Amino acid sequence: MVVVVLVASLGCSEAAPTPDLAGALLPKASPRPAFTLTALDGSRFDFEERTRGRLTLLFFGYANCPDVCPATMANLGAVMNKLTSQDRRQIDVVFVTTDPDRDTRDRLAEWLGRFDRETVGLSGSADELAQAQRAAGVGVAVRDSSAGRYTVSHAAQVLVYSPDDSSHIAYPFGTRQAQWAADIPVLLRRWTGPR
Amino acid sequence: MDRAAVTWWCAATGLPWAWEWRAYPGVWIFVALLAVVYSRTFRVAGHRIADRHAAFGIGLVWLALDWPLGALGGYLASAHTGQFILLALAAPPFLLLACRPALERAPVRSALRFLAHPLPAFAIYNTVMLITHIPRVVDALMPSQVGSLIIDLAWMAGGFALWWPAVAPARYRRLSPPLAMGYLFVQTIPAIFPAAALVFGSYPLYRLYELAPRVTPLLTPAYDHQIAGLLMKVVGDPIVWIGIAVIFFQWANAERRADLATPSGNR
Repeated sequence: MVVVVLVASLGCSEAAPTPDLAGALLPKASPRPAFTLTALDGSRFDFEERTRGRLTLLFFGYANCPDVCPATMANLGAVMNKLTSQDRRQIDVVFVTTDPDRDTRDRLAEWLGRFDRETVGLSGSADELAQAQRAAGVGVAVRDSSAGRYTVSHAAQVLVYSPDDSSHIAYPFGTRQAQWAADIPVLLRRWTGPR
Repeated sequence: MDRAAVTWWCAATGLPWAWEWRAYPGVWIFVALLAVVYSRTFRVAGHRIADRHAAFGIGLVWLALDWPLGALGGYLASAHTGQFILLALAAPPFLLLACRPALERAPVRSALRFLAHPLPAFAIYNTVMLITHIPRVVDALMPSQVGSLIIDLAWMAGGFALWWPAVAPARYRRLSPPLAMGYLFVQTIPAIFPAAALVFGSYPLYRLYELAPRVTPLLTPAYDHQIAGLLMKVVGDPIVWIGIAVIFFQWANAERRADLATPSGNR
């Protein structure tokens, strides 16, 4: 099984590395997306409103993912758990499922809880999830149903929204814990200007 | 079988792990080659203990290289360390002991005599051990079959260097038992550096194992690295200590036999 990672329409291939950050600087900043999905407690979660003005790490994936998602979430979780409580309080990690059929609320809560209990898990209908991915500027995930236990091809990068409510940088799959740990304090303090 | 699908040697593939047996023909050929080299070059008829040593040593090599441990070595730092322990620490003394009867009869080779000195042996083993644990080396070599083979062969070569001064035939100026015990103990000390880096590092040392598909969700990259470091010392060192104990008891028995053979009036 190979998860084919969709090239996000954000254009990560065009993004330039930044000298002091491990992520790839986007050619053009994009605004914090507006979408509403269902949180793990069943409440509606307005992403734009609930995360406004905060450093937000957004990732689309699914709990049965065999490679990219567990590695990404494990690395993020490990770093989040090592942050000072003051820094951690300023960050939202949001995971949006691309496999709503299998990622029930219980399943998602259990899976995300393995990495970081404060991660916000979101799900919704297929249409809502597709809209969320379009709003975030990534390709809409596609289910590979050729196998019995199907996989889902989805964007693999972590989208970062800064306190100025824009995304200036994205982190491709392969970003290491040490790189996250070095970059997060910088991300908390950069791009905080007027919105 | 699709030729392109044949994987000859275990390496890191980046594919999701599955508990499905896979064939690694290169490993079988290598193991068969070891058996052939032993039987054609080093086997001495009637030395059944040497045959058992050879079988056990080759078995350990096979265990380290073939599925599942060999394949897991591309996913888990702990499995990679398990391979190191088997290839560098556990198998070489048995293989060398298996060859010893033949080497005792063959002409002395100056290179082997040089390697029986503790200093070159210490330098060779620890250079191999340290270089093959450098993150850049592991991350660069393990994803390819040739690179993985190089690491495996380097470990075996390092293991032979480690054990040779202690188990070489006496004609090669093998270390006396007290010196051999001290030498082997000292050989275990430098491994504390990679082991400590694995156990106490703030973040995973190896990119390969940090980003590899998880074998089990319970084994996070951090735990995996810590287990690898612990294995290196908690399992690796005792294997060498067992060698020290064997040398000690053989020495003690030899001394006792010598005492018994000596007439009491001459003591």
